[in-house]
Formats: sequence, C-alpha cells, structure tokens
Amino acid sequence: MQRFLDPAVLAGISSLDLLAKTVVDGFVAGLHRSPDFGFSQEFAEYRAYAPGDDLRHVDWNLYARTERCYLKRYRGETNSQLTVLLDASNSMQYTSGPSSKMDYARFIAASLFYLAIRNQRDAAGLIVFDEEVREYVNPSTRQGQLVRLFAALERAEPHARTDFAKPLRHFQELLHRRGIAIVISDFYQDPASIVRAIEPLRFHGNEVVLFHILDPQEIRPALKGSSLLVDLETDEKIEVVPDYARTIYAAKVDAHIEQLRSLARGAGMDYQLLVTDQPLDTALREYLSLRQAGN
Amino acid sequence: MGFLAPWFLGGLAALGVPVFVHLLRRHVTTPRPVGSLMFFERGTQSSTRHRRLKHLLLFSLRFALLLMVVLAFANPFVRRTASGANKRLLLIVLDHSFSMRAGTRFTDAKQQALALLAAKPNSQKAQIMALGGKLEVLTQQIADEAQLRAALESIQPGDGNGNFGDLGRGIQTLGDAVHGPIDLHLFSDMQRTAMPANFADMVLPASMTLVLHPAAKGAAPVNWTVESVNAPAELSDPKDPKRSRVQAVVAGFNTPAAAKVVSLVVNGKTIATRKVNVPANGRATVEFAPLEAGYGFNRCEVRIESGDAFPADDASVFAVRRSDPERVLFVHAAGDQRSAVYFGAALNAAAQASFVLQSVAAEETTDLDPAKYAFVVLSDAVVLPSIFEHTLQQYVTKGGSVLIALGTSAAHHARIPLWGGDVKGTHEYARADNAATIGQVDFTHPALEQAQPGSDNGGWSETKIFYAAIVVAGQARVAARLSDGTPLLLDKEVGEGRVLLFASGLENLTNDLPLHPVFVAFVDRTARYLSGSEQLSGSRLVDSFVQLRAATEPLGAVANVEVIDPDGRRPLSLSEARTAQTLRLERAGFYQIRFANGRDAVIGVNPDRRESDLEPMAEDVQQLWSGSSGGGTTATAASTEVEVKYRSISLWWWVMLLALALVAAESALASGYMGTQREEI
Repeated sequence: MQRFLDPAVLAGISSLDLLAKTVVDGFVAGLHRSPDFGFSQEFAEYRAYAPGDDLRHVDWNLYARTERCYLKRYRGETNSQLTVLLDASNSMQYTSGPSSKMDYARFIAASLFYLAIRNQRDAAGLIVFDEEVREYVNPSTRQGQLVRLFAALERAEPHARTDFAKPLRHFQELLHRRGIAIVISDFYQDPASIVRAIEPLRFHGNEVVLFHILDPQEIRPALKGSSLLVDLETDEKIEVVPDYARTIYAAKVDAHIEQLRSLARGAGMDYQLLVTDQPLDTALREYLSLRQAGN
Repeated sequence: MGFLAPWFLGGLAALGVPVFVHLLRRHVTTPRPVGSLMFFERGTQSSTRHRRLKHLLLFSLRFALLLMVVLAFANPFVRRTASGANKRLLLIVLDHSFSMRAGTRFTDAKQQALALLAAKPNSQKAQIMALGGKLEVLTQQIADEAQLRAALESIQPGDGNGNFGDLGRGIQTLGDAVHGPIDLHLFSDMQRTAMPANFADMVLPASMTLVLHPAAKGAAPVNWTVESVNAPAELSDPKDPKRSRVQAVVAGFNTPAAAKVVSLVVNGKTIATRKVNVPANGRATVEFAPLEAGYGFNRCEVRIESGDAFPADDASVFAVRRSDPERVLFVHAAGDQRSAVYFGAALNAAAQASFVLQSVAAEETTDLDPAKYAFVVLSDAVVLPSIFEHTLQQYVTKGGSVLIALGTSAAHHARIPLWGGDVKGTHEYARADNAATIGQVDFTHPALEQAQPGSDNGGWSETKIFYAAIVVAGQARVAARLSDGTPLLLDKEVGEGRVLLFASGLENLTNDLPLHPVFVAFVDRTARYLSGSEQLSGSRLVDSFVQLRAATEPLGAVANVEVIDPDGRRPLSLSEARTAQTLRLERAGFYQIRFANGRDAVIGVNPDRRESDLEPMAEDVQQLWSGSSGGGTTATAASTEVEVKYRSISLWWWVMLLALALVAAESALASGYMGTQREEI
C-alpha cells in the first residue's frame, strides 16, 4: 500500500476526494499492522475527580465498588480542530518532477482533511494565503465540510508573493479554538521573521506544525551549465554557474532549513521538511502524533 | 598551391560570425524558473568562460565549416608536375668558362640555375655539371635538393675554354648510361667560339630535351684583348736585338677603331709603354725591345688599357728566364770533325737558343761531368770510356738528356750506349745508288714541331739519307721514319731523363740534312727540347698540361714535385706530389713548379683567347641545336622563368566534401546541445 502514498502515483489521480481516500486508507491499513502505534475509543487511564469535572465521565461502577470518584478517560475522546494554512504564493508552483510543490501541498492538505474528518471526526478548516488571506474555510465537522475543503483546495492556485506578516494578523482572528494549526509553505523568507510571524498562533494553545515543502532540485539543484534563473515571485533573473549551485547554494539551503528547524523548535513548534518526491505518510504520521500528544 | 578565384577569399570575413557568436557575444539561455533566488548569486564572468570551453568544439566545427565553404568558392588548386615529369632526369649544366666572367653573366646564369633547381619537384632526380675547360660532373643523379644546391653554388668562374663539343660528347656518354628521358638545361653565354668545328659533335641523343638559357643579353659587348705575346722563354743577353724583344698582338672584337695604350710589366713594374692604333674589329702588333730582365725568373705581363666590359682579358702573362748561355757537350768519334761543325753552326744560328757548344772526342770524356751541361750529344760515339758512360747513365737517370747520332761507326759496334738496345743492321742506301728520303714526320714531337708544315713535308722531303742504322723501336716513340719505314728519329725516356736517337749521322756524309734549312730548326728545337728550357718558363694556355716527371717507373728514390698555383696554394696533395706525372694548368696566372728532376720553373698561364670573342651563337643556330635534341624543345629567353611542366589539380571537390562532413558533425553536436537546453527548461 505504500505505493499509494507515493507522490508520483498520486499525481495521476485528479480527484482530491479519491486521492485523500486512497492515501488515508492506505495509511490506516498500514497502521493496523503496527503494534506500537494505535488509536481508537479505548480506555486510557483513571483520574481522580476534581471539582468542576464533567460528571458524565465519572466511572460509576468503580464508585459503587470503591466509593471513590474517578474519571474514566479514553483516548480520542475529545474532537480536535485542524486548521491548515496553505501558502499559495507563486514559488509553490515550482516543480522538477511530476507534481509541483503546490500539488504536493494539496495532497497533504486533502489527506489531512480526510483523515481528520472521516477517521477522527475532527473539525477541519483551511486558510489559503499568499501575501493576503485568499480563502478561508471555517473549521467544522458539518456535513459537506470535506467537499468544501476540497473545493477550496482546488481553487487555491499559486498567486502573488509570500508574506507571512500580513496574513498572520488575520490568522489570530480566525482561529478561535485551540487545536492543531499546520502551516504548509516553502518558507522562502528569513527563518526568524517566519517564526516571529507564526509564533503568536502558539499563544492560543494551538499545536503549530510547519510543513516545509521543497522540491529536490531546490535542495540540490543539478545545473548542467551556467543557467539563467528566474524568480517565480519577483521575475528577477540572474545567471548562475553550476559550481555555485553545487557548493555555496547547497550550504545556504541546508543552513536555512536547519535554522528554521531550530527556531521553530525553540518556539515550541514542530517542523517537518517534506520533499516532493517522498511519500505522504510522514505528514499524516506527524499529525496523528500531535493529536495524540494534544490529548 | 593557389586559388583559381582568389577574390572569394573576401568571404573569410564571415569567420567573424562564429567568433562573435561563441566568444564575444554573451551567451543567452532560456530562463529557468526557480522558487526563489534568495540563495543564489550572480556568476556571469565565470559562466561565460565556462560556456566558451563547453562550446569550443562546436565553435571549431562552425569556424572550419565557414572556412571550407569560402575555400570551396575560392577554388584552391595544387600544382603537380605533369605525369611522368618526375621520371625525367633534370640535368643542369652551368658554363663557367673564362668568357662568363664578362659583366654579370656568371651571376645571372647561376641565379637562373638555382631558380630552376628550386622549382624542381622533390622526387625528381637531378644532376649538376660544370662546363669549363672540361665537362665536370659534380653530383650523381640524386633528388636531394640541398646537395644539388651546394654543388651548384660551389661552381666558381673559371679560366678554361668552354667547348660545346665536349658537352655534346659528355652528354652522349651520359645518355648511353641513363635509360630514360633527360631534360638538359644549359646556362651559358652561348659563345660562338665555343662551337666545335663539326656541328655533329653538339647533337644530343634523341631522348634528351635541350633547353638553352642564354646568359648574355643583347649584342656582344665591345672587347679589346692581348691576343698573343711572342717573347723568349730563355734570355741570355738582354741587349741581343734578335732575341730580347716582346711582340704582342692586340685584338678588338666588335670594336671601333681606337688608339690603345699597351704596357709591358716586368715583375710588377711597368718598363715600357706603347700606343697602338687598333683598327675596327682588327688587330695590331706592338713590340717592346729590348726586354730588360734580371737574372732568374721574370714575371712579365703585357697589358692594355681597354676600359671595356671584359677587363679580365686585358693582360697576357709570360715568364722569362734570364741566365748565362748553357753549355752543350758534343762528344764525337775521334775521326769525326764535321758533325761538330754542322751542329755548332746550326745551334748558333738558332734564334732563341742560347747554347755554347763544347766539342770533345769520345776518348777524352773520362773526367767530364755531364751534369754541368744542358744536354749531351753523342755523335757517332758508340764507344765511350766506361767511367763516362756510367756517369752519363746516372746523368740521364736523374733527368739529363742525350742526343745520340749513329754514324758509320754503328755498323762496327752493335751496342748503343744508354739506349738499351743494339743496332740490328744498317741501310747503306748510297751503295744502292738510291738515297732514302724521310717519309713520315711527327710534327707534334717537340724536336720536329711545326704548326703548319708545308706540302714539302715541312722541308724534310728534300732530305736524302744515304746511310741509316736499323734500330728496333721497342717502347721508344718514333718521331720520323724513312720512306722505307726505317725509324730515323726515336725518343725514349730513361729514368727522369730522355734519350733521342737519330739513326743517321749529323754530318753530310751519311745524309744531306745539315745542308738543308730544316736542319737549323731541327737543332734549335732539339736543343730546347733536350735542355728543357722550353718547359721552365714562357707561357701556356689554361687547361694545358705540364709533365712533372718521366712516365717510366723511377729507378731510384721517388722525388717529390712541388707546384704553387697563381693563388699561392698547392694544388697537389702529398701523395699526388709523389706520383703525379702531369699537371693540368687550370688557373690563369703564374705557376711555380719544381719538377721531379729538381729543376725549377715559372710558367705564365693565359686563358684561351677564343674566350675573348664574346659574340654569341646566332639565334637560328641555337634553335637548330635545341631542335636537334630528341624533345624538340625551343630555346628559352634569358629569364629566370623555369619551364617545368605542371598541371593544376583543383581541390574544390575535396573541400566541399570536407565541408559536408563538417555540416554533419556540426548538426549532430549542435542538436546535442539543444536537447540539453530543452531538458533544462
């Protein structure tokens, strides 16, 4: 089933619904075979009652036998709220393979939505942004939410430049409840400014995850000769020699990734580098682990 | 190599296009999009350099392609010798005779010959010859141009007398040895006097093509020369008006009538000057008398102040040896008094001989030393004291000369002293009342020499011989025979010396020769011949020979000869000095010689005056000569143009084929680059 998570295979599936189903079903089926990781509405632990706790969770049978009031806790007991912040700037349309970074981001978002709504019964919402917030789907578990999310993803074509500062002001207004906020972007900005812009989401109790989408050619560009490169966002052109791309550029990208990872971790955020030629399960596994940790 | 349409080479300017595209123009590629340029930096210069390297092969192909296209339009060609030309032997003959010294004839001819050699195809074989007093073969038939050029450049102007007859005979011999066609290029002034008496001698083999390169331009230049000098080689009394005088003939070739100043120079000092009127194209004689000369050898020269184009022939050199009169030992039989009288009278009457006769009977010769005499005459003296005979034998062996006359005593004593043979018998023609006459005379013999003997057999036909001894000639040279074939005068070399045998007497009893004028001339020439004075001074012509030693094997120790040529060099090597019998006088000037018999000589050598007539052969004669050769070629003008047959081979087709190959290679390479660019997009 692993091949159904392969981006090269997913690129051939036009329907996001079917794609998300394929991914998640394959992913879940794979999980059942794993003894170390599981989730269901199963018992987790007992906790002593404290004033203010919901009496519906008290284990009355235990109370009858022991006259002690304990709350019975189950895993996945509570629904979480997933909000995906999708970067739809021009740089996301770069590709060197069958699927662009934007496609890959859509696959991830769709898979997360499917997993959250169909499997976890979580509320899921979407914010599409570039230098402004372009699309907003309020997190919900209502009927038809998944369709709305997929439609919003379909409409999210790369456009304009990335600017985390301006749309992030709106994010705080849009995210009322605590939950999981997943930012999917290529993060072509100064890591400090990115983290500084996203960090406020964390203050609302959100678990914030940065999914750093990069094309393999962006990490290790293979130039066969000196090339004229065009910035997809600014249309700026410069001529670059292969030696530079092979040495200095690679070092700079690695430093950028590492700096972003450390700053994000330092700010209490998770960071995950996703390369577009890798399977999608990394992203799904990250989501589930966060959801578990949040409970 | 050349171009049939060289103006198309202007298209080479198009070569600048690939240079501009590949090297000068900044390369532009299709832009390649990237997500962000925040990690990239500009690298233009290194990019250009790298691209240059990358496209160097493509650039080279395009450059070569354009070059080939332009060359194809310019239509290049190479010159190849016509088929079979390489198989022809190129024979270059350079005339270096004396007349080539006139003006720039030799330099011009040499330059033309060098130009011809330079134009020779590398594989063609050639041979170099020099035509002077003789035809010299300087190289074998080789293709090595450096060797041929060195041989050609080694030829220097000579003093010899060129003769096209020698050339014809030499080439005939060569034509027999070489199986194949020969191109003979003759670089010469085509002097008319170089033609042989018989034109057939000049005709070349049928397989030979003669190309003439005349070095002389225009009409023959004006030239005066000292044609001949008549001067005594030996001089004993400078005040003797008969002998002490120099007669010179001044000749003009192609000249107007003019007055010329003629000088006599002795040992570098002008001792007399005469003015002579030379008629147009004529001759004039000038005489200097007396000849003031010191004892020993005097190097003399008659010089004219001509101011013509050929100053090398304005002087004629000769050597005069002044000495006291030499003594001649006349040994006669005791009863013979007449022979000494006749011989002495003839000797005194001779114009140029300077001898004093000492007559002595055979019995009185015991204490005499023949070495003190110029030569010895044994007149009917067949019986000599043994001491004198032995001394005389040694004298002859060391280079002395003896004249033996066999009178009536020979009939009683068969043995002939010094001769090495016996008297086989006698002819007594008087008894038969039928005197013999002299039937055969060798006028080339020095004792009998006559340039143009008359119809009376040079004066000998009237001579009657009444008595003659019969002597077997053996290895002796017979200079004169009687009408019945009996040898009368025999010449034989003994050691370094010479013995002349007269088979009759020197008085008027055995013959009437002393009564005829020819007897005086005979005694005079015989005296000069035997004394060797003729050989010790005077003048000779270039390329004549001087006998250094006797032809017979030396009896004792080998004596060296010494020769110093006019340039002060010794032309003979050490081994040659021990063995050479003759010397060829190749240079004009004074030769200093010490013969094997120890006698010294100074000889003036002059070029043959036929070389002074610079008139070239007539055009029709030249055409006839070149037309007579097998190839039937025409005579060329005097120019450095070389008539070597070439054919032009156009390379257009090959250049276009190469261009097409380059197009294919360029297309393949360029498409490879284009494919890479699509992949990058």
